[in-house]
Amino acid sequence: MRFWEKLSLRARLGLLYAALLAISVVVVGGYSYWNIWQLFIRNKSCHIRARAKPVIEHWLRDNGLAKADSSLSPLKSQTALLLARDLTSRDTVAIIVNRKGDIIANGKRLPEEPVAPAPDEQYLRRALSGENEVTYRGQVKGKPVLVMLIPLRPHPASARVFGVVQMSTTLADIKAILFRHGAMLVSLMAIILILGITTGFWLIGISLRDLQGLLASCNQISRGNFSKVVSVKNRHDEIGQLALSFNHMLEKLEAAFASQRRFVANAAHELMTPLTGLRGSLEVLLRGAQDDPAAIARLSRGMYKEVNRLIRLCEQLLGLSRLENTVNVCKQPLVLSEFFDDFIARARLLAGERSVVLQPGVDARISADPDLLQQVLLNLLSNALRYSATETLIVISWKLLPQEVEIRVSDQGQGIDAEILPHIFEPFYQGKSVVVSGEKGIGLGLSLAKAMVEAHQGTIRITSEPGEGTTVYFTLPLQ
Amino acid sequence: MKNDDKIKILVIEDDPVITEFLSTGLKYEGYEVLPRITGKSGLDAWQQIRVDLIILDVMLPDIDGFEVCRYIRDHGSELPILMLTVRKEVSDRVKGLDSGADDYLTKPFSFEELLARIRALLRRGGKVTENSRLRVENLELDLETREVSRSGERVALTPTEFGLLELFMRYPHRVFTRETLLNRVLGYDFDGGTNIVDVHISHLRNKLGDRPPHLIRTIYAVGYAFYPEETSG
Repeated sequence: MRFWEKLSLRARLGLLYAALLAISVVVVGGYSYWNIWQLFIRNKSCHIRARAKPVIEHWLRDNGLAKADSSLSPLKSQTALLLARDLTSRDTVAIIVNRKGDIIANGKRLPEEPVAPAPDEQYLRRALSGENEVTYRGQVKGKPVLVMLIPLRPHPASARVFGVVQMSTTLADIKAILFRHGAMLVSLMAIILILGITTGFWLIGISLRDLQGLLASCNQISRGNFSKVVSVKNRHDEIGQLALSFNHMLEKLEAAFASQRRFVANAAHELMTPLTGLRGSLEVLLRGAQDDPAAIARLSRGMYKEVNRLIRLCEQLLGLSRLENTVNVCKQPLVLSEFFDDFIARARLLAGERSVVLQPGVDARISADPDLLQQVLLNLLSNALRYSATETLIVISWKLLPQEVEIRVSDQGQGIDAEILPHIFEPFYQGKSVVVSGEKGIGLGLSLAKAMVEAHQGTIRITSEPGEGTTVYFTLPLQ
Repeated sequence: MKNDDKIKILVIEDDPVITEFLSTGLKYEGYEVLPRITGKSGLDAWQQIRVDLIILDVMLPDIDGFEVCRYIRDHGSELPILMLTVRKEVSDRVKGLDSGADDYLTKPFSFEELLARIRALLRRGGKVTENSRLRVENLELDLETREVSRSGERVALTPTEFGLLELFMRYPHRVFTRETLLNRVLGYDFDGGTNIVDVHISHLRNKLGDRPPHLIRTIYAVGYAFYPEETSG
């Protein structure tokens, strides 16, 4: 078993195939050899019996033994010898046995005639008891012979048996034919085996070729190279299908890794700007601006802002990664009207000269994490504030749907260009809109909002009309 | 060494903190800085005011830096342009240089490197024929061979002493605190007290044969400053 497990799939399949092929060839060859042997023997015995039948009938008639009563007298050796001689030929010898089992006549006269084997007690008894077709194989001086026992009766329908003719013939000729036949069979089997195993190995190799490609590809991937795609020779068999779905998986993986890389690159990019400000300011201070109190004040204010920006960025990145695990979402029952009354108060503090209006819908209970929901709304609100002029309206409203509640945040700001809209939820994606108030964002607000809504099994979408305003819709499941 | 009127640098950069440190730092180094936060206002400034160099950020809120650069080049100006960007990709660098920028600096950059690039660009543009020799009265300092001589006689200085003297000669009359001298001559991350500056200054004075009233004067409770001899009397 150890050895077997160490073999490659190809070798294992090849060996199994070769073993099966060898077994079937040996079985078929052996069966056909045995069959031919049987056929030869049957043929020979039939032939000899057919030849003997008219001779025996003649002999019965000529010697007046065909009458039912005459058979009662014991068979005379003289009479029996006549029959034995008639039945003996160059390859066949006949002996006659009486009811007691004694040999009373032997047909062999000439030296070239074969020697008859001694009658076998057991078979003889069967023939004497009236069995017609007793045929068996015996041996004379180590050579195989075929022995046939023919019971002697007055006429074929009679139940009385007064003796048995034992005819024996050599099987050496059949043996010789069979040996030639067997030799031919063995060489044919060898040829079939060699051809079969070679083509088998070749075929297995062909069908496993895609598998080898797969293996090479896997090795490449473990080294971090995702570009190696398996070439598929046959796309219909299982291995081809496997290679195809493997390639498909590879594409997906590559895309996932690329987006991961892009995310990290974007995050680093976002870190670079505040770091530039910090490094430059520090350097300028150290180079001599520290001698001027006014410069210290200006530069340190700037550095403080940059540090805050870094902290904000880190918090949002952490927020995103935390949301990948839904365990961090603490859902609890919330009454919409109560939640929004609290929220709107906070929103108005942030809004400054813009007014925030709540248009409540039918009250309902939802199951949500209040901190996350507030975070979503704050993110949407700060976007709305950032890109809207003073004295514009920001409307927060909700509407009950059969299974969920749809919450809307709409502004009358500058809107978003149609070509930017499809990418708006991608991390770090930022349009070219000019910030109206406050600071430019980091580009994670909407990504975070989306992740938070999706952590609640909700959906989020955005519509915008440049110059008119933007509306963000998101749904949360009802309790 | 410098033209009478200061060299004007137009800084087009939208990040207020970066603009702030560039302005402060460059002013300290003796340049005049014109900060602009959008590509459009930057181009307006370029058309109205004669500037000597432009520092241009790639990411601007309105027009991107490449376009600003191309616009300036398309109008036949050979003004030195130094581009600032966060992106490190080669394609971006090529794009920047293709659009006509003379040099390229990746954020976060070192301010010292920025200064070196600015000096190189100004030299290349022929704006400044920066002499490799600084000469104040009978004191001569060769920046290339790093040799110092007073009244034709060679004075052997250590690198630190040379750095101090170079700084003083570049910015006569400017008062340097010990902290600043330490940072600029021995590096920002030098651990140790500012007393070391006094030691170096005293060695320098001895080697130069500087006697009261000093060329290098001690400004009480502040630091040191360099006064050429004609004003010392």
